[in-house]
Amino acid sequence: MRHRVFPALFAAGLVVVAGIAGSQETQTGAQEGAQAQATYQTMTPEQRAAATRAFLGLGPEPDKAAAARGTTLFQQNCAFCHGPQARGATGSSLITADEVLGDDHGEHLVAFLKRGRPEKGMPAFATMSDDQLTDIAEFLHLQVEAVANRGTYHMLNILVGNAAKGQVYVTEHCTSCHTAETFVHIGSRFRSPEQLQRGWIWPVRPNDSEDSSKAIVATVKTRNGSTIAGRVTQVSDFRITLVDHAGETHVVEREPGVRVEIKDPLAAHQQMIMTLTNDDMHNVTAYLETQK
Amino acid sequence: MKFSLGVCTAIAAASLAGGAPGVQPVSLDPNTIGKAPTTSWPTFNGDYSGQRYSTFTQIGPANVNRLTQRWTYKITGVGAQRGAPVPTIKCTPLLVGGVLYITIPDHVWALDARTGNPLWHYDWIDHGGHLVGQRGVAIWKTTVYFLTPDNWLIALNANTGQELWRKDYADARKQYFSTSAPLIVKNHVIVGVGGDAMDMPGFLDSFDPVTGDLQWTWWSTPRKGDPALKTWPNEAASDHGGGMTWMPGTYDPELNLLYWPTGNTNPVFAGQGRPGANLWTESIVALDADTGKLKWYFQVSPHDTHDFDNTTAPILFDRVMDGKPRKLVAQAARNGFFVTLDRETGHYLVVKPYVPLDYSSGLSPQGEPIPIPDKDPTVGGSINIVNASNWPAPAYNPKTGLFYVNSVEGKAIYYLTDDTAQPSGYGGTGDGIGRSQRVLQAIDPLTGNAVWQHAYPNLNNAPSTVGPSILTTASNLLITGDDQKNAIIYSADKGQVLWHHEIGANESGGVITYLLDGKQYIVFGAGDTLYAWSLPQ
Repeated sequence: MRHRVFPALFAAGLVVVAGIAGSQETQTGAQEGAQAQATYQTMTPEQRAAATRAFLGLGPEPDKAAAARGTTLFQQNCAFCHGPQARGATGSSLITADEVLGDDHGEHLVAFLKRGRPEKGMPAFATMSDDQLTDIAEFLHLQVEAVANRGTYHMLNILVGNAAKGQVYVTEHCTSCHTAETFVHIGSRFRSPEQLQRGWIWPVRPNDSEDSSKAIVATVKTRNGSTIAGRVTQVSDFRITLVDHAGETHVVEREPGVRVEIKDPLAAHQQMIMTLTNDDMHNVTAYLETQK
Repeated sequence: MKFSLGVCTAIAAASLAGGAPGVQPVSLDPNTIGKAPTTSWPTFNGDYSGQRYSTFTQIGPANVNRLTQRWTYKITGVGAQRGAPVPTIKCTPLLVGGVLYITIPDHVWALDARTGNPLWHYDWIDHGGHLVGQRGVAIWKTTVYFLTPDNWLIALNANTGQELWRKDYADARKQYFSTSAPLIVKNHVIVGVGGDAMDMPGFLDSFDPVTGDLQWTWWSTPRKGDPALKTWPNEAASDHGGGMTWMPGTYDPELNLLYWPTGNTNPVFAGQGRPGANLWTESIVALDADTGKLKWYFQVSPHDTHDFDNTTAPILFDRVMDGKPRKLVAQAARNGFFVTLDRETGHYLVVKPYVPLDYSSGLSPQGEPIPIPDKDPTVGGSINIVNASNWPAPAYNPKTGLFYVNSVEGKAIYYLTDDTAQPSGYGGTGDGIGRSQRVLQAIDPLTGNAVWQHAYPNLNNAPSTVGPSILTTASNLLITGDDQKNAIIYSADKGQVLWHHEIGANESGGVITYLLDGKQYIVFGAGDTLYAWSLPQ
């Protein structure tokens, strides 16, 4: 089960995840969370951005074509004071400015820019056309979007480790359970270094019955003395559900006298996670990335 | 927004006005709010202490197995809201004069507590904001106060649901949004706010309950001239430093101090643009209830870079220590530290991890955990704990002397996605790795040690936002639930499971209890349904 720090949720047909979802998250069952997470992973960047926009109530989407045109104008006319990303330089940051956040598509900003704010040293841009000023406004809204819409965030280059040291770590820590075969082409099995890093630390458990190599298994001794063994599909204090080798589902109420023993094949990975250093994590990822 | 946005539907207003059997007009004397809750549950935590403790013994270990579902109320006709496929009750219901008040974002219902039948429904059309949750209403005399996602304080007639007035206190365009329950203290309606998508400062407002006029504002970050500015690189960083106030605080009437927990610092994960401790984000602050002036603060997560949003309730309780009576406040913080302070001075007694963690190198002379810089989010990823707790209410039982919290143990990889000198917004992300384990803990607040723990078995990783609130009673009951739709009652002293019942969804809000017609009820929301339990007739 993949899981983010924050759970995932559904939004009227749109799914928003977790890493982007913030502090006071909606509550969903873990199952729904996993499902939403999977759906989020398959979304296009545009869909993610739109879903997050709706979830956070961010207002209208910036016009990207206009913003692209506005980039050059902004860099020529505004960046000197306000910085290339409008986050402030000698002049103030614009991405948290009332004038920007109170505007949707230039309907207020165009007039403001024409006037300027001479009393504070901001010139009037009276000679620029309305279209040009609208493009600048859209550029600013896109800068806001890049900050406020966490669905637009993307990983930087996470390959910061030392591959040689990573290889040493793998030899010393992984080969007691894994053969060299495990690591052949491992780098090409993931879509990104970030997925690789997550995947080697905490492998995905296949959800289906065909590959139960990583499934949590249990042995249940029932009150009448019989034993059931199989893949666990649900467990609480009061009930356990397992699927045996024949594919049959057993639901056992955990009454007094019922004994349950659970084994997690990823237990060694869980232990590793609790003590793994950042350097070791980066080094191993750098090494495995070379195994393509 | 001059046009009318709210619509009230009186479902059975006639029965209220006409005095239907058992239902009298609702009116709450504000002076009773601080008393132990018995025939009412008049404020978010039941009383001002945040203990969520009931003196009742009618339902106890000997008869809990006879607990019977008396009625349910299912929210219908609302449908999917932005961010939630079905409505989820995350409020703590209020009970006054035989009427229950419950909320979800944009909606308030008044229910007849004897039947669960709706009396009126108020429906707000929001123009922005984040519909992630709604924690409930406040009530003062005959007025109910409700906060909307787009930051309007709405005053409603408690008997009819008619809107009396409204007041906007924060701009949804700046990504402020509201989910909190207001707190009534004397003639103050105290309102907190959320929102960390943009870098905005948190604040707490106090309004007049009759007119809605602003009485005072306390800002979560220092303004020009304040010595606390030295914990920020500059005034602009402080002005955009976060510290939201999105959960209700607690209050000591004798000291006239509010104890408010403040949320995460902004930018959230990217701290490189704001070196310093970043006061008063991530803190417990003590404020004068009449002026909003800061009396003391204790910063639980100095220079936070992990969204350790310090909004879990600070619980007030009194103990005798070394022969002297002490006024204390304790918090099971989201950063994994259990904190007990003297609530007159803010001096610390206990600061100790209550989940496994390794990101702190020790305590400052003031008792504040010192973070290890290597554990900050980085471009390549940095491993640290998941949030150890969240907004679901913890509890304290004066009979056992124990503090109860549903905690989460686990790790996450925190990435920096903005490594510029001037990051903004979140600037990073946190991604849980491995298994995380929910654990119900009973902690001795004088040592910070767990006296008992109960790990909830689970295949999936339940985050800290799952983990219903807790209520305990004088009869040694601890009422909460797991993440697999089981309502569970434990013994408060030992953590033995006394009773459980599978319901339609995970418990999702506050658990309350009250006496109605001489009978003790236990009421909580789970998903879209409110459940009422008592012993059989």
